[in-house]
Amino acid sequence: MNKKKNMAIDFQDNMILLTRKYLKRKIMCPETKFRHHVKERMHVLELLKRTVDMGESNSALLIGPRGSGKTTLMNSVLKELSSIKSFKENALIVNLHGLVHTDDRLALKDATRQMQLENAVGEKVFGTFAENLSEHHNQTLLYNLFDIAQSAQAPICVIGMTCRLDVIELLEKRVKSRFSHRQIFLFPGDTSSSEQPTTAFDDRLELFQHLLSLPDDENVNRIEQQYDDCTIDPQFGSMWNEYIKSLVSNATMVNLLKRMYQMDVSERSFRNFLAVAVSTLSEKHQRLEVNDFVEASKIFAQDDKVLMLEGLSVLEMCLIIAMKHETEIYDGEPLNFEAVYNRYFKFVNQNSSIQSVQRPVIMKAFEHIKNLEILMPVSGMNSKVEKEYQYYKFLLTPQQVMDAVKNYPGLPTEVSQWALSSV
Amino acid sequence: GTILNTPKSRSLKLKNLTPSMGKRNSTLMKPSTPLQEARSRLHVSAVPKSLPCREEEFNNIFTFLKGKLEDKSGGCIYISGVPGTGKTATVNEAVRCLRKLTSKGQLDDFDYVAINGMKLTEPRQSYVQILKQLGGKTVTWEQAYRVLEKRFHNVNSKMTLLLVDELDFLCTKRQDVVYNLLDWPTKATAQLIVVTIANTMDLPERVLMGRVTSRLGLTRLTFQPYNYKQLQEIVMSRLKEFDGFRSEAVQLVARKVSAVSGDARRALDICRRAMEIAESRNAETISLQDVTEAVSEMIASAKVQAIKHCSKMEQIFLQSISAEVTRTSIEEVYFKDAYKQLESLCSFDGIEIPTVSETLAICGRLGASRLLICEHSRNDIYQKILLNVSIDDIHYAIQELDFNS
Repeated sequence: MNKKKNMAIDFQDNMILLTRKYLKRKIMCPETKFRHHVKERMHVLELLKRTVDMGESNSALLIGPRGSGKTTLMNSVLKELSSIKSFKENALIVNLHGLVHTDDRLALKDATRQMQLENAVGEKVFGTFAENLSEHHNQTLLYNLFDIAQSAQAPICVIGMTCRLDVIELLEKRVKSRFSHRQIFLFPGDTSSSEQPTTAFDDRLELFQHLLSLPDDENVNRIEQQYDDCTIDPQFGSMWNEYIKSLVSNATMVNLLKRMYQMDVSERSFRNFLAVAVSTLSEKHQRLEVNDFVEASKIFAQDDKVLMLEGLSVLEMCLIIAMKHETEIYDGEPLNFEAVYNRYFKFVNQNSSIQSVQRPVIMKAFEHIKNLEILMPVSGMNSKVEKEYQYYKFLLTPQQVMDAVKNYPGLPTEVSQWALSSV
Repeated sequence: GTILNTPKSRSLKLKNLTPSMGKRNSTLMKPSTPLQEARSRLHVSAVPKSLPCREEEFNNIFTFLKGKLEDKSGGCIYISGVPGTGKTATVNEAVRCLRKLTSKGQLDDFDYVAINGMKLTEPRQSYVQILKQLGGKTVTWEQAYRVLEKRFHNVNSKMTLLLVDELDFLCTKRQDVVYNLLDWPTKATAQLIVVTIANTMDLPERVLMGRVTSRLGLTRLTFQPYNYKQLQEIVMSRLKEFDGFRSEAVQLVARKVSAVSGDARRALDICRRAMEIAESRNAETISLQDVTEAVSEMIASAKVQAIKHCSKMEQIFLQSISAEVTRTSIEEVYFKDAYKQLESLCSFDGIEIPTVSETLAICGRLGASRLLICEHSRNDIYQKILLNVSIDDIHYAIQELDFNS
C-alpha cells in the first residue's frame, strides 16, 4: 500500500514509462491468443484431438501469406490442448523448421532428440515443415512421414506450414499421393468466420485500439505472467484508453491507417509501425499525438533510394543526372563510364560557373555510385574489360532522380535546370 | 567368481534391444457412433483383407509366385502403375495368402523380405536391410553384400521372396545394386524370387542398362488407374453396412477423383473429410453438399481466394502486370515497366502512387506466396516477373470484389 502511495507522487513520469513498457510488450511479443479464423482453428484443433484420442493418423497443410498468423494459430491450438491432461500425457510434439533443419539428416537427428527415442516416452509425433524441406534430395523425409501417416503404425499427425500457395506442386508424385490433401488456408483480413462480421478495415481499427489500450483493471495484468511488473494505475489507464478511443475517430488518423491498409494487410508490419510510434513516448512526450503516427508511417512509406541520393556530393549528383539522361535517350540501354563522362563534360563546358574536376576524381565518384548499387553490372560481361568500358544498368527511375534533385539541399541552379531539361 | 559390473557405456545398450516407443497412459477412445466407426474404416491405413477391383492382378501375382515357389526356381516380376492404385497392397495380400498355404502345409516355407527404395538413405543400404530381415544383424554394406553373395551361391533349403518397392530410387549411375538384386535370381542355387514395384511403365527401358533390363525379364504387370466404378466399389466395400453415405455422394467423389488421377488414397481421404464435415454439423448422413465442400477443399486451388484477400495495392500491382503482359504480349515483364503501368493505374483511380521501395516490397510479398514468380531481387527494377496465375483469374477475383463493396 505504501508503495502505491509513492507511485502516486510521481504519477505521470513513472506511469508513462510503464505504459510504454506494457504497450511495447503487447505489440511485439508473440501472443498465443488468436483472433479470427475460427473455422480454420477448429479444424486444426479437432484434427489434433482426434489423432491423440482415437489414434487416427492425419496430415495437413497450413497455407497463408507471410505474417498471416500460421504459427500463432498453431501455438494457440497447442496451448489450448496442452491444458488437457489426456493430451499432455499421450502426445509428443516434434518441431522441425525448414530453415534450421536444412537436410534430412539434421531433421532426423533433431526429431530423434525431441522424441527422446533413447528412453522413449511418447507415442505421437507432430512435425511442421516449411517449403525448404520439400526441396531436399528425393524428399525422403516427407515420404516417410506421410507413409507412416498412411499405414497402420504409431498414430502421427504431420502439419506443414508454408507461405507458398503452390506447395503441393513441389511434392513428388508418390509423396503427393500419400499426402491427405487437407489444405487449410489462412488469409489475412478474412473476417467471415469471426463472431461478429465486420469489414476488414473496421477490424484493423479495432486491432489498433486493442493494441494501444491499457488493461481496464489491475487484475488483468496479473493474469498474464509476463506483465506482472507493469502495474498500471486504473485511473491513468481509463484516461489513456479514453484518449486512444478519440484517436480512432480522428479523420487524419483513419486516413493514415487506411492508406497503410491499402498497401499491406498483414498484421506484422502493422505491429512494427505501432512499435515505432509507441517508442516516441517518454517523460517529456507524454501523449501519442497523431503527428507521431504520421512520422512513423513515413519511415515505412519513404523511398530509400531517394533518401540515399540526398547524401551524395554535387559531383555525384551530376553524374546521376547524366546517367538519367543517358538511359532516357537510349531507352534503358546499358551505359559505361565513358558515356557518362562525355555527357557530364559537355554540361560542364557549357556552364562556366561549374568548377571542372579532373577525370580520376570523376572516376572515383563513379565508383562510389557503383558501390552504392545504383549501378548494376550487366551479367555475362567478362572482367577483362577496362573499368571505363564496363557496362552497367542504371537502377533508378527518372522520377526518383527528379525527386532527389528536388530534395537535395543547396543544389546549384544550373544542375537542377540541367536535370529538368530533356537534353 | 566373476564380478558383474553395471554396463558403463551407452554402446552396450545399442546391442540386442528391440526398439520401442513410449506407451500411452490412457487407452484409446473407441469410435462411439456408427459414423465414427465407418470413418475409421475409411482411413487409408485400414487395408481390407481382400482388395476389391484388383482380383485379376491378384491372381496374376499369386499364380506367378505360387508357381515359382512350388518349382523352387528363381525369377523376377516388374509391377508398375501410378501412385495409389494398390500395387503394394496387392503384393502384400498375395504374400499373406501364400503364408496361409504354408501354414496349412500345402506349400514349403519361404523367407519374405521387403525393402523400400525411399526408406533407404543410400541404395547400397538395401544389402544391410535384406540381411537384417533374413538374419537379424546390422553390419556394414560390404559385409552384408559378401554374406548375401555367399548365401545365394549355396544351395538353400528355403525359397526367398524379395519385394523391392520404389525400384527407381535404387538406380544409381553404376546400377550395381539393381544388377545384383536381379542377377541373384538367375543363379540356380539362389532360389530367389524378386518382385519389383515402380511407377513408370517403361522404367526398364528408359533408365536401366541393357544387361539389367535383360535380367528383369518380360514378366510384367501394369496396374491401371481406378475408374469411377471401381473407386465407388472400393469406398462402398469399406463402408460395409453403414448406410449414412448416400450412393450419389460416393459416385460424385469417385467421378471427381477418377477424372484427376484415379488415386484410391485421394478418394478415401475426401470421403473421410466429407464425414468430418457432416459430423461437425451433427448430421448422421453424408449429403451431396458435404462432399462438394470436401472436394472443393481438397482439389480446388485457392489462388482466386488469395488474390481476393490481397491488399488493394497488391491487387493493383497484379493488374498492372497483366496490363503490361497484354501490352507487350510477352509473358515476362520487367519490374520497371510494371511500375509504369502501376503509376498510370493509380492516377486513373485517384490513389496516391506508392514509391518504388514500397512496390518492390509488394512484389516480394506476392513472390513469396507464389502468385508471382520473381527473379532475385538484387536485379532491382530490372528483375523479371512472371504471373503465376492466369490473367482471367485476376480479373475474376478483383471484379467480384468490386461488386461486393
